[in-house]
Amino acid sequence: MLEIRGLDAFYGDFQALFGVDLSLQPGQTLALIGANGAGKSSFLHAICGMTQARGSVRLGDTDLAALPAVGRAAAGVALSPEGRRMFLSLSVRENLLMGANVRRRGPWTLDRVTGLFPILGEFADRPAGLLSGGQQQMVAIGRALMANPALLLLDEVSLGLAPVVAQEVHAALAMLRDQSEMITIMVEQDVNRAIAAGDRFLCLLEGRAALTGPCAGADLDAIGRAYFGEDDT
Amino acid sequence: MIWFETLFSGLTLGGLYALFGLGLSLIFGVMKIANIAHGELVIAGAFLAFAVVDLLPVPLWLLLPLVTMGMFAVGYALQSALVNRVLGDDPLPPLLLTFGISIVAQNLLVEIFGADNRALDPGWLATARIGPVWFPVGLLPLGTLILTVVLFGVLHLGIGHTRWGRIVRATSDDPALVGLFGVKRRRVFAVVMGVSAALAALAGVLLAMRSSVTPFSGVERLLIAFEVIVIGGLGSIWASLLGGLALGLVHVISFRLDPASGLLYGHILLLVILLIRPEGLAGRKVTR
Repeated sequence: MLEIRGLDAFYGDFQALFGVDLSLQPGQTLALIGANGAGKSSFLHAICGMTQARGSVRLGDTDLAALPAVGRAAAGVALSPEGRRMFLSLSVRENLLMGANVRRRGPWTLDRVTGLFPILGEFADRPAGLLSGGQQQMVAIGRALMANPALLLLDEVSLGLAPVVAQEVHAALAMLRDQSEMITIMVEQDVNRAIAAGDRFLCLLEGRAALTGPCAGADLDAIGRAYFGEDDT
Repeated sequence: MIWFETLFSGLTLGGLYALFGLGLSLIFGVMKIANIAHGELVIAGAFLAFAVVDLLPVPLWLLLPLVTMGMFAVGYALQSALVNRVLGDDPLPPLLLTFGISIVAQNLLVEIFGADNRALDPGWLATARIGPVWFPVGLLPLGTLILTVVLFGVLHLGIGHTRWGRIVRATSDDPALVGLFGVKRRRVFAVVMGVSAALAALAGVLLAMRSSVTPFSGVERLLIAFEVIVIGGLGSIWASLLGGLALGLVHVISFRLDPASGLLYGHILLLVILLIRPEGLAGRKVTR
């Protein structure tokens, strides 16, 4: 399971997160929501070791906070980053294979990823930079899955994608749910879609946890108030 | 007939030039820094060869791999101990550091070996000739050219078609991201610097077999290496080969026509390329 206590994150002198707590069971998906600049990406970066952080982050028996980014990757943390960040001089296949660098055992192989996203099999030898935004998003997700992660971090799943493409990506992600022990944290702009895709949600506001709870039967009005910070009547 | 010989000698000199440029181009491509100490790595390779043959007379086929491995270790250590510490968004610190390394290296070489001219005696290879009676060519220059092309090919395959090459290219694309894929970028940089130093050293040994060198010969080789990658262009390994061959041909032909010109026409070629095709003969446009 994933156990986060009092997580602070910093960019130089700027503090982006203030004491966020979170606890997730194996197989659960967290919908991470919040306005622009609320700290969603900072939260993911603090977990995977891309930014300075303070606080406790435990994944299973591993104390992630004590490890550098390379060690966290080996411990099973994988990120599909905001903006997709393709390796531009690598082909689609080579981008996916980068995910397998950490050599973790598990079900995800090149064949399974191209089974999930058939278009990637078709375009395997193209430079990743030539793909459309939606296809690049699939590469980014597939690349993270290739690491056979215990904790999958998905930043901005459908940002900048055409609605029909976003739907396609979410359909693929829905197939991942419930069939693995993998913990997923998903950042998604579309709150309704995020709530539909998650088991639990966490709403951030200015770097602090504003509201958290189960997605089933979530009170959208309360989420709206937490999202915009209008809760202090 | 004399023009055939000129052409051949231009190509073999160009192969050596290309080898000077290859390591520099590799470093620039992967780390986006200019290694001012590259010329000293070339010369250090030559002096390491002198030291080895002074100690025991090993044959050439053994000398080349020995020097290559030794200088790989030197490059790896330099990168791990020094250059990795100053890599960042600012290109100035690596420039200053490698400039400093070049000066320290020159003085170290003088301290150890003295400031004399030295050359490597290739033995029977110096006069060995091969080919048809109407056009015999020197075995040594021919071998140098073939070795150069083979090295370019090996590096091309290594970068383009191996797991190691994939990691190097990914690290060059997005050094901040590769850590999340289990890649230690500092180690990648150290290996790449090692490879660059090994290539430079090989070029240095080949250089010492065709002309004499001193501890201060590095600067001229650095200038050649820069001209090679500007003329050839950045972004591809083969561009360095093209740049080297072009520069070698121009040097040899201009020497034939105007013996007093020195390197002048090579510099003119550089200026002309910069004017009419700033991305180089085979380079891609670099936006940065």
